Amino acid sequence: MLTERERSEAYVREQRYPLPLKSAMPDVWALWQRAKTLEWDPQTDIPWEELHPERYSAEQVLAAQMYWSRRTWGEYGAISESPALLLRFCLERQLPDLQFFFTMRTMEEGRHAEASWLMADRLGRYFPQPQNPPTAGAVGTHGVRRMAFDPETSLEGIFASLVCAAEEILIDVFKATVHKATNPAVRRLMELILRDEVRHIAFGWQCLDAWAPSFTPQTVRNIEAAVTTMIENVEFRGYRNLWLAIEGGSATPAEIDADRISCEAGLGGNTPEDEMQVFPEFLRKIRKRMAPWGVTIPMFDHPRLGKV
Amino acid sequence: MGEGSEHAARLLRAYQAQEKRFVERRFPLRFAPEVPALRELYSQAKGLHWNPETEIAWDRFDAARYTAATREAARRTWSRRAWGVYPGLTESTALLIRFCLESGSLGMDAKLFLSFRPAEEAKHLEVCYMLAERLGGYEPDPGEAGLARLSNHPFTQAALDADVPVEAFIAALGALDDQLDLNLHLSHLRQAKDEVVRSALRLIAGDRARHVAFAWTLLGSRVPALGAAERAAVIDTVRDMLANVILAGYRNTWLLPEKIREPWLAAEEETARQGLGASTPAQERSVLRATVTQVRERFAAWKLDLPRLDHPELGTI
Repeated sequence: MLTERERSEAYVREQRYPLPLKSAMPDVWALWQRAKTLEWDPQTDIPWEELHPERYSAEQVLAAQMYWSRRTWGEYGAISESPALLLRFCLERQLPDLQFFFTMRTMEEGRHAEASWLMADRLGRYFPQPQNPPTAGAVGTHGVRRMAFDPETSLEGIFASLVCAAEEILIDVFKATVHKATNPAVRRLMELILRDEVRHIAFGWQCLDAWAPSFTPQTVRNIEAAVTTMIENVEFRGYRNLWLAIEGGSATPAEIDADRISCEAGLGGNTPEDEMQVFPEFLRKIRKRMAPWGVTIPMFDHPRLGKV
Repeated sequence: MGEGSEHAARLLRAYQAQEKRFVERRFPLRFAPEVPALRELYSQAKGLHWNPETEIAWDRFDAARYTAATREAARRTWSRRAWGVYPGLTESTALLIRFCLESGSLGMDAKLFLSFRPAEEAKHLEVCYMLAERLGGYEPDPGEAGLARLSNHPFTQAALDADVPVEAFIAALGALDDQLDLNLHLSHLRQAKDEVVRSALRLIAGDRARHVAFAWTLLGSRVPALGAAERAAVIDTVRDMLANVILAGYRNTWLLPEKIREPWLAAEEETARQGLGASTPAQERSVLRATVTQVRERFAAWKLDLPRLDHPELGTI
């Protein structure tokens, strides 16, 4: 069955050799080495005994359950979708540094998904789906797998949109709000996720900086389009935070408000005020960071954030 | 677009077409354990992580103890082993994606386990590379078209092929090929005399044992519920893997066609003789026979009958 399909050319054979394994991007190689020294286990490295959900009101616990459930769905995208990038690195014969590092990233994202699920579960309940089915469209996918398998979508565009936009804003919000997580178990989990994600983002920027000298005008346009799509079609649809959804009609008020209530209880999440502050700053930062590559990220109109 | 990038685009389109055949239903997205033994294997993976850079005493590896001929042989052996490990990066990643495409509500134990496996494969690859480098240099190319072809199968695409039941894929690559690979590593470990090589093989074998346990546990949870067509596909795929891949020399150099097995076979014999991490053809032959018997017996418990095969050198196996 396998070799028959191979012989009938139902499968396309990789051009695997020569197979270089020597590091050619020392900064990325260092991230791979560092990742191996910082492994952790959500079951044992979080002080779960200090979670004490019984100390919070029913409304607060429910909000935190919703927040951590939605984080689980988001992290799951990094198991279900972005590993496709590793396949692309291998078949495009990208440098071994990228291939090695990305295996750790997949592992770490699996850990984040498990940890977020555990947090919701230990708060009393994990929600396996949004309350109204249409919301699934907004929070269900960031579309990276489709992009990774699409030869017309450049790798640079995927990196810029997934790593330097979607992951960067996620971490900017985490960084800006981790101090509000007064619950020790929640705080520790956020710190551990943050520690991994900082490496993921460094990976994206390091690759793009290294490739930038060879960017063509088409590459630049691809990056601009991919980042714009990620902001407008993913962030502004509420993938990370439903409050940001421009057309948030299908999410329930409880879901939209969950981040704020959870955050104010010290159980993780962020408030609209945090978004108002962090999101424009994030856009200013990536615009400035990408400008030397010739990339221009447009201004966006958002009903609550204004022109950002 | 160069020839390489055209080929890569063809490959990407092949993946793209495969992915489009699935309709992913992500919600409800369930995380609670379904098969506790699989979740336990995932927990073990988290608890037993290791780092090739720091947990192997490289400073105690003295390549100068060995003659130039031995170093050359061992560097070839560990280079070829790296080529055998490398596909695991993409095959296990594709299998993870396959589980995700098939269902959000089923298979989370397997998904979590598989989210770890590519990194474990990468660590094994790093070990092979580091050993080859210390023995004189990693060889990135078989330099022989026949060997390159026989060690490069498109199993990553098979993992995403909706026409190949996921159980059939795991039976062929996990229960048979991974089991053989584990048993060979254990054989190499038994023969190895160099303490650094022994610790490298022991660490790799520990992970490999978990990978094999994953395959058998997953099959144990699913095979009893398979219909006749899927059961036939399992047997057909395993038989194909054995007849056309394993017996063609995918894991065992002495099974390669005679005209291409040298100098790799001589290199492995010298590596085995010096205790640097290989087995002799006679030892490997016995491992292969024992593995096939083991796989056949375990399948028989599910009333899956793996047919016997005739091989010019091995006879009936």
